[in-house]
Amino acid sequence: MAEPKLRVLMVSDFFFPNFGGVENHIYYLSQCLLNLGHKVVVMTHAYGNRSGVRYMTGGLKVYYVPWRPFTMQNTFPTVYGTLPIVRTILKRERITVVHGHQAFSTLCHEALMHARTMGYRVVFTDHSLYGFADVGSIHMNKVLQFTLADIDQAICVSHTSKENTVLRSGLAPGKVFMIPNAVDTAMFKPADVRPSSDDVITIVVISRLVYRKGADLLVEVIPEVCRLYPNVRFVVGGDGPKHVRLEEMREKHSLQDRVEMLGAVPHSRVRSVLVTGHIFLNSSLTEAFCIAILEAASCGLLTVSTRVGGVLPDDMVVLAEPDPDDMVRAIEKAISILPSINPEEMHNRMKKLYSWQDVAKRTEIVYDRALKCSNRNLLERLSRFLSCGAWAGKVFCMVMIIDYLLWRLLQLLQPDDDIEEAPDINFCN
Amino acid sequence: MVSSSLSSKRYTYIHESGSETRRGAIDIHHVIINRSRSTGYARLMGLAFFLVILGVSMYSFIEKDNPVRTLSWSCLLSGFFVVIQSRKLVKKESVIIMPTFGIQIETQYLSGKTVSRFIPIDKVLKPVLVECVTPVTCYWSLSLFLRGEEQLTLVFKELRPSLKMLVPIWKALCTLIGTDQSEIITEEKHVVSG
Repeated sequence: MAEPKLRVLMVSDFFFPNFGGVENHIYYLSQCLLNLGHKVVVMTHAYGNRSGVRYMTGGLKVYYVPWRPFTMQNTFPTVYGTLPIVRTILKRERITVVHGHQAFSTLCHEALMHARTMGYRVVFTDHSLYGFADVGSIHMNKVLQFTLADIDQAICVSHTSKENTVLRSGLAPGKVFMIPNAVDTAMFKPADVRPSSDDVITIVVISRLVYRKGADLLVEVIPEVCRLYPNVRFVVGGDGPKHVRLEEMREKHSLQDRVEMLGAVPHSRVRSVLVTGHIFLNSSLTEAFCIAILEAASCGLLTVSTRVGGVLPDDMVVLAEPDPDDMVRAIEKAISILPSINPEEMHNRMKKLYSWQDVAKRTEIVYDRALKCSNRNLLERLSRFLSCGAWAGKVFCMVMIIDYLLWRLLQLLQPDDDIEEAPDINFCN
Repeated sequence: MVSSSLSSKRYTYIHESGSETRRGAIDIHHVIINRSRSTGYARLMGLAFFLVILGVSMYSFIEKDNPVRTLSWSCLLSGFFVVIQSRKLVKKESVIIMPTFGIQIETQYLSGKTVSRFIPIDKVLKPVLVECVTPVTCYWSLSLFLRGEEQLTLVFKELRPSLKMLVPIWKALCTLIGTDQSEIITEEKHVVSG
């Protein structure tokens, strides 16, 4: 087997068996990078009994490091605690680039800090949008500022996300690449026989029923649309705190036969729910990149959405403001253009526009750019931290100096040569 | 007869086998720690001394009177600690492979004590090389799947020899139980050269 071109370590608290957008992104990106001939290793924390080394499809090696998660799947932040294991993994696998995912992941921030101290190239991908005003966001943004002060390159999943990240962290916009997420078009295919839209038009909603996903908007929009169009029915998949409000709405307007509530839908069944519909409704108030609308478009559904990150071509989506009247107007427009939609053609266009292979190739370019960045010594790096704030800058400098000293101490106790390199295991397909 | 030996900073691996021509000869693999008896004890004494100083200084903060009593108690407790820990100082671990019969795993301590375990051949399902991940490090270990036991049995319980040393032992164990090694797809060139 030829020597891999790049050896990438993906670090995040969020990986399978936990399910979500970030996890999916890391997995698909890793698989495509493996197909391009690179070596990819994933590092995450242990999930229950799943601890140690596991191999996934294509020889993707995953280290489930036995650090306990403490809240929302995040590893307990010890700042320096993960230095020994990160150093061991980087040396064992002969990593060249470290790629961290998700600003909310403590393991990601710590690993990126240690990787920079040890002189590795780091890339960071931000998947979500965050606020600026509440206490949690302020602290998170400060941590992000610290991590991104010394990064080589950053990736955001949409222009909205790029603006948000640049404002929160003070990072130079020139260092941030925009690589949109993709969708698994092989899995999300239109139905072989499209349900007829002559008698009944089905509008599908699949999302968590929480405030941020616009569940309150749905409560206003659904009865109005049902009143205007007697031939429209809704299918609502997903669960959450706002479930109760939707049930109340159904009762109040007697829409039990026109609004079907499916409850939580596992991801493997999402496609089978989507293909029963003609229109997909997304009412999220804010989203860095809405993969749900891509999945719907890949299945041949016309989308009605609020203006969230993640763009579809104009003829595949009808945009609306997050206001009930505007959304009803958008649904009316969607119903009127529904006959001209060809699901197969939509699916084929999505295949070309949003493919994980394309994302992997673009990410490869970011890695190459990161590798070309010059290696700065400790003093130059410290000067970058000082610009982060009056007292914050000094705190960050202290943290980095201590990290550097701890690294040198570890090198004394366990020299680099003592860490044995792991062989690359070649799985024949 | 010593067939081969490998040496690293911490461990030395020695392979003893019977005559090459005679099949069914006993195969012995030793992994020896590269530290002399005195180094092992010296480390323990150093640690004990440190504990004594720590104990005395902590106690002198808490109880300001009678330092002699605290010193004597600290020495006594550290002495106990040295005695207990010295029993755990390992000198050598060996694997004795007896074809068609079984495997004997031995651990020899510095104090002269030897602990051994015999595993009959029909109990061994498969030897495996496993990567063990702890919160601070990751290392290779050689383990056995045994019939009727849920947990893997470690071949080397105290020592952590490198993969280079474990691979010949693993191969010998595979040959013993008749596992076809060509089924196992491994890129070994890096192990040999690295």
